[in-house]
Amino acid sequence: MTSATACFVIVSRNDIPIYDAELGSSTVRKEDAAHQHQFILHAALDVVQDVAWTTSAMFLKSVDRFNDLVVSVYVTAGHILLNPICYLLMLLHDSRNEDGMKSFFQEVHELYIKILLNPLYLPGSRITSSHFDTKVRALARKYL
Amino acid sequence: MEPDVSMETGSEIRVAVLPIGGAIPRDLLRDYVSMLARHTRVELSSISSFYVEHQKSPFAHQPWDTGALRIQFVVGGAPPSPWEDFQSNRKVLAVVGVCHCPSSPDLGLVADQFAAACKGYTSALVERCFAFCPSDAQLEDKSNKENNVILFPPSDRQAQELHMLTMVQDLAASLLMEFEKWVLRAESAGTILKTPLDSQSSLSSEEFIKAKKKRLGRAQKTIGDYCLLAGSPVDANAHYTTAIELARLTGDVFWHAGALEGSVSALLVDRMDLRDPTLEEEVKYRYYSVVQLYRRAFLQDNAQRVSTVSFELEAALKLARYLCRRELSKEVVDLLMGAADGAKSLIDASDRLILYVEIARLFGMLGYHRKAAFFSRQVAQLYLQQDNANAAVSAMQVLSITSKAYQVQSRRADSNSSVSPNGLGSGHSDVGKMHLQSIVSLFESQWNTLQMVVLREILMSSVRAGVPLAAWSAAARLLRSYYPLITPAGQSGLASSLTNSAERLPPGTRCADPALPFIRHLLLNEYGHSCSFQLEMLHSFPIHPSQVDIVKRNPGKEEWWLDSAPSGPFIYTPFSKGGPNDGNKQDLTWIVGEPVQILVELANPCGFDLTVDSIYLSVHSVNFDVFPLSDVDNLLLGAAQGLVLSDPFRCCGSGKLKNASIPNISVVPALPLLVSHVVGGDGAAILYEGEIRDIWLSLTNAGTVPIEQAHISLSGKHQDSVISIAYETLRLALPLKPGAEVTIPVTIKAWQLSLVDSDHAMSKNAPLSTGKMSKEGNGPLLLVYYAGPLEPSDPSGEKQSPVPPGRRLVVPLHVCVLQGLRFVRARLLSMEIPAHVSETLPKPLENGNSFEVTPDFSEHKNDRLIRIDPYRGSWGLRLLELELSNPTDVAFEVSVLIQLEKKDRHGLMSVDLDSADMDCHKTRIDRDYSARVLIPLEHFKLPIIDGSFFAKDAQTDNCVGKVSNTGCSERNTKAELDACINNLVSKIKVRWQSGRNSCGELNIKDAIQAALQTSVMDVLLPDPLTFGFRLRKKETMPNQTNPTGKLNGFSDEPFAQSDGCNLRPKGSILAHEMTPMEILVRNNTKEMIKMNLSITCRDVAGENCVEGDKATVLWAGVLSGIELVVPPLQEITHPFSFYFLVPGEYTLLGAAVIDDATDILRTCARTNSAVEPIFCRGSPFHVHVVGTL
Repeated sequence: MTSATACFVIVSRNDIPIYDAELGSSTVRKEDAAHQHQFILHAALDVVQDVAWTTSAMFLKSVDRFNDLVVSVYVTAGHILLNPICYLLMLLHDSRNEDGMKSFFQEVHELYIKILLNPLYLPGSRITSSHFDTKVRALARKYL
Repeated sequence: MEPDVSMETGSEIRVAVLPIGGAIPRDLLRDYVSMLARHTRVELSSISSFYVEHQKSPFAHQPWDTGALRIQFVVGGAPPSPWEDFQSNRKVLAVVGVCHCPSSPDLGLVADQFAAACKGYTSALVERCFAFCPSDAQLEDKSNKENNVILFPPSDRQAQELHMLTMVQDLAASLLMEFEKWVLRAESAGTILKTPLDSQSSLSSEEFIKAKKKRLGRAQKTIGDYCLLAGSPVDANAHYTTAIELARLTGDVFWHAGALEGSVSALLVDRMDLRDPTLEEEVKYRYYSVVQLYRRAFLQDNAQRVSTVSFELEAALKLARYLCRRELSKEVVDLLMGAADGAKSLIDASDRLILYVEIARLFGMLGYHRKAAFFSRQVAQLYLQQDNANAAVSAMQVLSITSKAYQVQSRRADSNSSVSPNGLGSGHSDVGKMHLQSIVSLFESQWNTLQMVVLREILMSSVRAGVPLAAWSAAARLLRSYYPLITPAGQSGLASSLTNSAERLPPGTRCADPALPFIRHLLLNEYGHSCSFQLEMLHSFPIHPSQVDIVKRNPGKEEWWLDSAPSGPFIYTPFSKGGPNDGNKQDLTWIVGEPVQILVELANPCGFDLTVDSIYLSVHSVNFDVFPLSDVDNLLLGAAQGLVLSDPFRCCGSGKLKNASIPNISVVPALPLLVSHVVGGDGAAILYEGEIRDIWLSLTNAGTVPIEQAHISLSGKHQDSVISIAYETLRLALPLKPGAEVTIPVTIKAWQLSLVDSDHAMSKNAPLSTGKMSKEGNGPLLLVYYAGPLEPSDPSGEKQSPVPPGRRLVVPLHVCVLQGLRFVRARLLSMEIPAHVSETLPKPLENGNSFEVTPDFSEHKNDRLIRIDPYRGSWGLRLLELELSNPTDVAFEVSVLIQLEKKDRHGLMSVDLDSADMDCHKTRIDRDYSARVLIPLEHFKLPIIDGSFFAKDAQTDNCVGKVSNTGCSERNTKAELDACINNLVSKIKVRWQSGRNSCGELNIKDAIQAALQTSVMDVLLPDPLTFGFRLRKKETMPNQTNPTGKLNGFSDEPFAQSDGCNLRPKGSILAHEMTPMEILVRNNTKEMIKMNLSITCRDVAGENCVEGDKATVLWAGVLSGIELVVPPLQEITHPFSFYFLVPGEYTLLGAAVIDDATDILRTCARTNSAVEPIFCRGSPFHVHVVGTL
């Protein structure tokens, strides 16, 4: 993993995070950092919501940043139609590996669609699948 | 950096406002300052009267008609900025002292103090000291003029404000004149302008010319600044243009940027509100250049020593503020993010603080509340890094502002803006979101990490700032909403924070935020309704709900309980009208004089102990006294003993009042209260299937009002098992006085267990006591509707509600049904037991009293199950065999009872049912054994083959004679047949008895029906011909066939026989003796039958012993080929004699071939062919031949 810091969050349409993971390799002051990362991602929602309406691109590179940390977002399809299954995959990172990030988002999106197809999963609810978590972390190691 | 900078800032004259003299009360100071500070813009036209042009004004293009001076009041003053040469608006150009005369009696002293204070402001061009509320003495004092203290004479507010306006205009005019002076001097004499950048850099290395030009450029820039301050943008622009040129030539990047910035300000003065796109483009273009230039200046110069980053950031913020509109949000966001990045380069912490404050404000203006909250929190963190109480207060306040964005606001704040609680969602919030967010509670929402952090920081800053109420509120919110996420240690910490805060608060202070997580208040009244006052309902404990149901009384109706949905225990009844009590609003009725149980459930999910001081019951809207019968101590004791269990995580975080509905409680006057109990114990009556028993129900009026109306009805399952209720007993007992008791018997017959139950029990081999019982609670319910008098007996005389309600008592009849005798199968036996030949025939059917010869069911004779009268055999008899098994653990005795109808046709004959019963012997079936019970079906034979069958079944008599019975019955519908069988079956009752007091009836209807279905015709209809043998009396010597013509001629025979051979055993025949006999042939049809009769005699081996070589019987008379014609319903005797050579058992058989058979006979014989002779065979008769006497 090249990225020292990465925090990944999936935010549902109601701006509620349904999945979050600290993916960074740095272990120092993890607790505080996690708070700060979530604060940054939470604040970035304002920007993302505006930007998402101005572009048809799904991958929004570096929509927001604070200090050295950059927020990149992958908007799932359907936000134009106010589809209830529109979600933001938000990644807070400090790397510049754009291609890796894009692949990461795409694969996580696929994973997420699989979760959505599970009839027992209520869209918008918290993702608690440990399998999903493992896969996401594996993808992070692979791409980020 | 300076806060609140904008592009207008360059044109604002900075005026320091200082309190002078004795302490000024805070309110007054605020009042004075506000009077002053409202004059931020002074029109040039308004100051012309104060303005004196001493020499030619350097501001040639001053717009006296439209222009204005802008003043920025800095209350408390400000330290001089090192950059004030660079930007003249940073200079404090005037000082205004504010003095409160009552606290400063000596105005001379005030003047001295003011002068001293002004010393600190070297750049100040004008100084004024305003003294408010002077005393008369002070007004008289002439020295004030010299002291330069301006007194505001006490007057009304308006006058004071006018006075202040005049003073400000005077101040502005003075400032303008000073500016003119300064500019004139600067133009003529030049000026040395330095910034911290220049302080240590020597100009020596540079060319002198260049340095001079640089100096000139800087002077031009500064003159431009003054022009701007003087409200003359055109002049300012001219100077700025020159300055820009010079700065560019000399490479004075920093001043170049400053001049450019000034030029934009000049451009924008008075045009800030106009949104001209071209102007906006120009401003944008120039400002991006400004930012670039500042950045270049930063790169050029030694960054460690002094930084110009703050100017770059200020420029960025100014541009952002200028552009700050929704449609330009992207650009603004970029600017602000760039500015935020610059925070790292800022050396001074307070600069960073200002930067973050400004960024937060701008994001807030843009509508980016989350961003604003984020930067506000950064500000708070910077404050918290400072170690003083003021900073902590600031931090607390800033964090309180963010609490809305993070949705952790205090309830008080919430109530102010409860309509729009969407902090997390900004602009694009759709309609459903708010709703969803209210459902997703704080605890469940996954931004809870942020929320907890923010609350913790608020708590920390409040504690540090020493604001106990805020600390309490924050701790309370944290504890209440997030306690499941807080460790017990953390909870204890919060608890101690609460305690500490509470100690500091004045007593009686109330905080809008509830602190303790989930103290659930649960009200349960005696009807089992539970209504939660604060949080959701937990459970309901029905406390004898059936005894106290209240039913609204419908006074207009006889059956007053109809049309009025009972008020409980069912919250929903399909019959309730959607009236005023819709929704989950519950209507409760409390009755005067009857205790109501209210259950308050308290749960403490916290990691620390709580003490409950008191619990109140507050009832609004009703004026009645409530006094508790039990107190809180008992309740808490119960809770401590674990009586109230609760799961703290059950309704985590749901601070919202989901189901909270305060019930409507109405109080009615005393009602009668009926209490029931079963005589002999309220336990379930254990009955075997089919058992019949009386249950004695005792009803007592436990209320204080007599019961005047009562009605019993049935409900629930197995209602048909209640055979009778003594309605009359209850009715006669009315009115039931208080305390009175009435006992009514209810007869019930235990129902059949369903097959599933019994099969299940069988397959599992379960213990008898449990496995084969019926389930509890599926017995019938008795509903007793009762009510007191229509007129309430309450003597208070106050106006009553129309009719006091009635009540309903539900008495469940606890019946536990055990499996009893099991019916295995039923079948119709076709065995033929010959009758013995005697001097009489077996009793014919139409005799009626044939029950004499009912087979004897005897338990004493083990060798035979059935004992049959040997002289009768199965003559005219069918046997229905029931196989019963006894799977229970008690013995049963079964008796069969056949009810015989009266036969009205013959009038005289009647059947006594009791005597029929008497004759039935009992069959004992021990546990785990099976037994067969035989039921003789002889009694159902019809005497003749038509007519009466239809008469019995209530059919029309028309078809009698015309249509054959069988043909008719075949044409009859199946229903008719079923009715016929039912008629038959209903006469058979299988009663059982077990022990002394259990008796009942076996329900075998279906089984018998099934068994009879196929052969009902055989059972019901007689054969067309009946054959009978009897011994002929010796004295009569009939030698010819003799039609008697008597229908019931046989009945006379026994009496005729009395003088005969009574010494011999009845019907015994001696060998070697001529025995006269006769055969009787009876025609059961209504038509003449012509036939060919023959008689045979067989021995025990079945050999014909009349004919053949080894004939052992000699005979006299004709035995075969006897041509007979039997008239309808008549009988014919044919005499003959036998001479038995060998003693033994013989069988006599009569048979006939019917000639010219009618359709009826053919149908009886089940043949279709018209040619085929019809053969009729009679029942065999036994002859017992003895050797000697």
